[in-house]
Amino acid sequence: MKYFTKDSVSILLGLIGFAIPFFVSIPGLSEAGHVALSIFIIAAVFWMLEPVPIYATSMLVILLQVFFLSKQGVLFPKATAQYTPNSYTEFIGTLANPIIILFLGGFVLAAAAVKFDLDKNITRVLLKPFGSRPKFIILGLMVVTALLSGFMSNTATTAMMMTVILPILAKTEMDDPVRIGLALCIPFAANIGGIATPIGTPPNAVVIGALSNQGIDIAFTEWMGLATPLVIVMLIASWVVLLWMFKPKTDSIKLDVKGAFQKNKDAIQVYLVFGLTIGLWITESLHGIGSSIIALLPVAILSLTGILDKDEIRGLPWEVLWLVAGGLSLGISMESTGLAEWIIATINWNLFSALMLIVVFGLVTIIMSNFLSHTVSATLLIPLAVSLATSGAAGEGFSLILISLVIGISSSMAMILPISTPPNAIAMSTGTLKTKHMTKSGLVIGAFGLLMVTLYALFYWPLLIN
Amino acid sequence: MDKKIYLLIVEDELEVMDALVKDLEKFEPFFPLETANDAVEAEQVIEDIISEGNSIGLILCDHVLPGKNGVDLLIEMRDNPETSDTKKILVTGQAGHEDTILAINKADLDHYIAKPWSREELEESVVRELTDYVIEKEKNLLPFMQILDSEKLSEAMRKKQMGDR
Repeated sequence: MKYFTKDSVSILLGLIGFAIPFFVSIPGLSEAGHVALSIFIIAAVFWMLEPVPIYATSMLVILLQVFFLSKQGVLFPKATAQYTPNSYTEFIGTLANPIIILFLGGFVLAAAAVKFDLDKNITRVLLKPFGSRPKFIILGLMVVTALLSGFMSNTATTAMMMTVILPILAKTEMDDPVRIGLALCIPFAANIGGIATPIGTPPNAVVIGALSNQGIDIAFTEWMGLATPLVIVMLIASWVVLLWMFKPKTDSIKLDVKGAFQKNKDAIQVYLVFGLTIGLWITESLHGIGSSIIALLPVAILSLTGILDKDEIRGLPWEVLWLVAGGLSLGISMESTGLAEWIIATINWNLFSALMLIVVFGLVTIIMSNFLSHTVSATLLIPLAVSLATSGAAGEGFSLILISLVIGISSSMAMILPISTPPNAIAMSTGTLKTKHMTKSGLVIGAFGLLMVTLYALFYWPLLIN
Repeated sequence: MDKKIYLLIVEDELEVMDALVKDLEKFEPFFPLETANDAVEAEQVIEDIISEGNSIGLILCDHVLPGKNGVDLLIEMRDNPETSDTKKILVTGQAGHEDTILAINKADLDHYIAKPWSREELEESVVRELTDYVIEKEKNLLPFMQILDSEKLSEAMRKKQMGDR
């Protein structure tokens, strides 16, 4: 019986799925498209059922593409009428894609910030003006969490904020709903805050990477201009929803975050590098130097000064970079083999109005992201959007950037279950709330998020991207 | 949590053992409790736990035991790579200076509880030692947030540079 564990069945399913296109001829799909379909199926099954870690699936994707689809691989040494094979360097090159380097810059900044408690001290200072009334404390926590999660990972931000709210939770009455509000405001704000900047959360990278492969480059500030107004609206809405659903009984909460800014030489260097990098990122329109180029500054400086040593560099979340790179890599072959276009052709897109396209892509993304990794959801959907644009199947008015933004941003709106995002899992683990609390409030926020994404996509984003 | 982390109590007096088990009940759902009445039995229990691929997070050990004494058992555990990281608490009424020094120097004793103990003191020590143990040994700390020191666990997660997915 032990052979039929969920994982072994998942692996078997993936392998069978991988094999099918080798034996079944699909009309309208090139030979290379069949191979790409094989890889797509095994990747989708592994990413969705997770018999292996999602980053490992990404590594498998890159391996399979290099072996079977590249010019140096075994199947397509020469260009055919339907397929001009990519060089293997294109598939492995996604690991050094500018968006990956940008993320690396974010990672080293976050690592240095945590090492010198910059994240905690920023939190301490920013929380002060919010006083002691529960509703303003919750607002303050949400603002700070969102701000930090725009530059650090949502997960690391949530873990840090837990150290702030756990002492408060310990002091509140067990039957006070404010406990639930406090425990939920952190992961929700972290999920939403991740939308704000390109490095906020990996789905943003998936969108930006895919668009740059199509020759559309989105600057750091451009992304912030598109995303931040939405983040602010969503934060306020979530705050209202949480206060409405979990009305605090107590009228005063004592917030006591201890600490002081470190003043040693290394710490001051970290503050300077932090300020310099973010300063240069958000002033790109003034100096024109790309954010990925600037990202090399903290990488080099923090290593040169020894502020991050060998062990700390090893400790960066490299698997996230592999995860995104594998997704970008898959997008390349889905495009070049015509697989994405073939998938697109199975649906009659002319029936969809621009509004319906936005709603459908947004809704599908949110549903998928609630159950799967956000990055995986975005990775699986973005190539379809790209093909819709390049094939012209969706007609004249279709905007690739718009739909890509809808997919990338909607994925961060998924927060109804503990498994939806790691921040949700952390909040749940405290035992302060039940899943139904998360589902109820997450559902309202997700639905409102979809509405907002739709409105922004119809009325606001077009003003900036055209 | 496929692998279990055990909490092992070694004590020869029945009433004392009962009291310890009762005071540590609340850990049972997270850390299965095993007991032994003397060092030889403890060695057997340890061997069984290890051979099933599980580990021992914490041992609470009486000093005076029939046959081999508690300090010698702890030294043995320190020298065994499978149990060298196990957190070690000596629970005793009569250990002299020399034995205590020996336990600290040779067995990496983590904590010393004098009999009679208070329930709060015992729980506090167990929580602290197990929290340190899971932070050192476990990759996923979330399953322990409710029973151990959640603030310390969150701090450890913060330092781990966890990425999104």
